[in-house]
Amino acid sequence: MMLRLKNMSVQRAGRQLISGLDCALHHGEIIVVLGPNGAGKSSLLLALAGLIPLTGELELCGKPLSSYARSELTEKIAWQGELPPTEFGLTVQQRLELSMMHGTASIEQAVASMDIGDLLNRALGELSSGERQRVELVALMLRTTPIWLLDEPTAHLDLKHQVECVKMLKAERSKGRAIMTVLHDMQQAMAIADQLILVDGYGHAEYGAAKQLCNRNHLSRLFEVALMEQGDILTPDYRGELNDEITRS
Amino acid sequence: MRRIGLIAIWQHGNDEMAMVKGVRWLMLLLTLVACLLLGLAMGEQWINPLCADSPMDKMILWDLRFPRLLTAFAVGGMLALAGGWFQVLLGNPLAEPYVLGVAGSASAGAVTGLMFVPESAWVMSAGAFIGAWVGIVVVLFFSRLGSNRMLLAGVVLAAFWSALLALLLALLPEQGLYRAFSWMMGDLSHSDLPVSLLLLVWTIALLAGLALSGSLDRLLLGERHAKALGVNVKQLRQRLLLLASAVTAVAVTAAGTIGFVGLVIPHLMRLLFGSLHRAVLPASAIGGGLLLVLADSAARTVIAPAELPVGILTAIIGVPVFLYLLVRRS
Repeated sequence: MMLRLKNMSVQRAGRQLISGLDCALHHGEIIVVLGPNGAGKSSLLLALAGLIPLTGELELCGKPLSSYARSELTEKIAWQGELPPTEFGLTVQQRLELSMMHGTASIEQAVASMDIGDLLNRALGELSSGERQRVELVALMLRTTPIWLLDEPTAHLDLKHQVECVKMLKAERSKGRAIMTVLHDMQQAMAIADQLILVDGYGHAEYGAAKQLCNRNHLSRLFEVALMEQGDILTPDYRGELNDEITRS
Repeated sequence: MRRIGLIAIWQHGNDEMAMVKGVRWLMLLLTLVACLLLGLAMGEQWINPLCADSPMDKMILWDLRFPRLLTAFAVGGMLALAGGWFQVLLGNPLAEPYVLGVAGSASAGAVTGLMFVPESAWVMSAGAFIGAWVGIVVVLFFSRLGSNRMLLAGVVLAAFWSALLALLLALLPEQGLYRAFSWMMGDLSHSDLPVSLLLLVWTIALLAGLALSGSLDRLLLGERHAKALGVNVKQLRQRLLLLASAVTAVAVTAAGTIGFVGLVIPHLMRLLFGSLHRAVLPASAIGGGLLLVLADSAARTVIAPAELPVGILTAIIGVPVFLYLLVRRS
């Protein structure tokens, strides 16, 4: 077991976002965190990465997270979140060099999978949000930590690279990486989630197997939006046919 | 091993970039040598340093002009280093001690010193040192507001220090006024700190900066990314702050308030040598020195035998260059 959370609570700006969450992240497993905006998904990842305070018990590889020095934590956990600022003119190559660590064998594959070979000598500030997100994903792939905490890795990406990103996450899982990721796309979540954490924005968090929690009524209530089943897939009802079915307990 | 992977992908571009940067380093060093020679030659009387024979010429060159050139070089380098550090510390490439009101507080401190002991340059320098620290501490208090608001706070603080300074100047005895004005506009002719001390501070500042350069680079990605990459951000900020404020205080004490070197030079060096600090810091330490050597040489010559305060020239050179860089970057 890589990460174990017991009775974990997260607060931001005096607001209780998540309380009483118990869950475990294992080798070769993907946990997807779902929930509306502002519900505390990103804060949960920040807390697990040791970047903001949390209350409750959090064990990393059998030891309390607080017993790790920052440098040790960096060897265990990689965090991907907001796009870095561009004011200082860093180039893509320089950005990538900053994420390299011992054990980073080769970046050719990572660079090729996100098609950033032509961007290497360009400044981050010259790139679109999608291109910068691809650079951040390559920077993540250079991190050889056993745990990845990802905050919307497919944000800003075009369809092709969303697919590449999902494929990459599956491949990393098969190599034994333990991944917890926030996603907003239901289809992507259903395609890769082994476990789900649902946070509702009212302080409640639910953890369980994806197959168990990923049902239409449950997620419709969570997001306060009508969802349709199309085969195995849940998709929002953009045409409004099911709007009257929205219920909230 | 990891470098091999990188090189395999952009070998050609990398080699090209390394060559371009190598040429730029060479140009920077050659320009420095040329400026030092020019600075030696320039003055009320033109003296060619390569064929000066008379004892008088040698005395002017090596006892008067050379120490002053070294002072200008060290002060300029320190201002550029401090400017670069403040920019990373506050996450804003427009930050600089001068812009943040630190120059104003140092001036107020210096004039306060002059009021109490008009004839003592050391008391004035001590006043400037304390004033610079007070200004930096106040700026840091406002840095919690975020970098943009902090810059605005810096502008308001500069106005406050300027008002306080006007009040102090109104109360200052007449004999201290000339000294106060020339110091406030940057004056290398009355530097009270020994050249060897300034060069030592320049060297220590550069080495300390280089020791922190890996962490500084990561801080360019923002505080969270830096933390996630293993940087102890709180400790780094404290060290950087101590370093930047100490170096600023020494530079201001030595030469008065000289603006825009700390703003323009790190910006220019990032354009020439990239953003990583292992290159930006030494380039800024040299580039800042070069700019001040050039400005001081001109200041000694333009209206010789009188001298212009060097701060006027750095502002005249620095402001248009900075505006150009701003427009080019946007």
